Amino acid sequence: MTKPANSAHDSAHDWTHIRERGNLPILRLMVWISLTLGRTLGRVVLFGIALYFVLFAPAAQKSSRDYLRRALGRPPNWRDRYRHVLSFASTIHDRIYLLNDRFDLFEIQVEGAEELDRVLARDTGVLLFGAHLGSFELLRAVGCRGAGHQVAMMMYEDNARKLNATLTSINPRATQEVIPLGQIESMLNARDKLDQGYVVGMLADRASGPTQRHSVDFLGAPAAFPLGPFRMAAILRRPVFFMAGLYLGGNRYRIHFAPLADFTQVERSERDAAIRSAVSRYAGLLETHCHAAPYNWFNFFDFWATT
Amino acid sequence: MSETASSEAFPALMPELAALIIEALNLDITPAGIAPDARLYGEGLGLDSIDMLEIALVVSKRYGFQLRSESDDNTRIFASLRSLADYIAEHRTQ
Repeated sequence: MTKPANSAHDSAHDWTHIRERGNLPILRLMVWISLTLGRTLGRVVLFGIALYFVLFAPAAQKSSRDYLRRALGRPPNWRDRYRHVLSFASTIHDRIYLLNDRFDLFEIQVEGAEELDRVLARDTGVLLFGAHLGSFELLRAVGCRGAGHQVAMMMYEDNARKLNATLTSINPRATQEVIPLGQIESMLNARDKLDQGYVVGMLADRASGPTQRHSVDFLGAPAAFPLGPFRMAAILRRPVFFMAGLYLGGNRYRIHFAPLADFTQVERSERDAAIRSAVSRYAGLLETHCHAAPYNWFNFFDFWATT
Repeated sequence: MSETASSEAFPALMPELAALIIEALNLDITPAGIAPDARLYGEGLGLDSIDMLEIALVVSKRYGFQLRSESDDNTRIFASLRSLADYIAEHRTQ
């Protein structure tokens, strides 16, 4: 159990905050430009923004370089760094279109959904763990078109408020059912939703505040992953799936689902071992996707700092 | 509301509940180590919301009633060992 190094998170946050600052008038303007002039012209603005951040966000750039070196297995060049930032900016920009159900603009492949569908067909609640890897917005988008399973996202209330303000400013009909984290009843809430057959999603690669962590090898060095999401899954004895919506450049996305762990039969005595092996598998899946689509890692702080 | 009266009706309840919590969460303290009025969540005993879930589940199982998320009183119920014991005393079916 290690304490998280929050300072590492805070110091590198300068530009990841653009999406969280909640500057609604500017956001509305950008939404208007993007929806009126179209995705192609919207992206021209984006190229400039990405360039700006490659040049003028040193802290984020340092963590980007460190990460890319691990994922690519070589020192990243200027082009890699630009593509990294552009991928991040693109996924944010594309949310505008996804939220407005403009699926026609995108080529979206889905891989590994069969197993998830099989489990969902049993009409049982399922946990879906993503990461700050690619676009999690795709989940909501795909969920809306899917078999009608209700989706709720677990997130910190502050983020949730900003998200819902953003969503409604983009599309007044879009809302996200949110289970607020950081409250006594957060987990009871998740349990009730799962009992009702919901798909409950969360990003399992970050935690806020002091939390239990487990160090596993990730891209060649130990990284401390939060145990919370996995402890919750184990206590609630639920199946867990991994999900990542990778941005592949242009208008192409590929969604990956993979079984991550099934705690339905895990007894108390086996719990800790099962949790640790699930965290290892989670890190392994992340690593695979980081190698396959390296520009999708959106943790712009020193992810390895907590070990 | 006669909160103190309710847990006083079961004098063994607080130590029993403390032992239950310690066992469920694998805490390295004795039942006497949980002060009746110390905060369970956050500072105090330092438990997080997943620990609270674990407590809610073992309490449900042991005392035969459900702790619901819709209840507005969760913050009060889970505030301390004493408040939880009071709530259990009022609602237990076994």
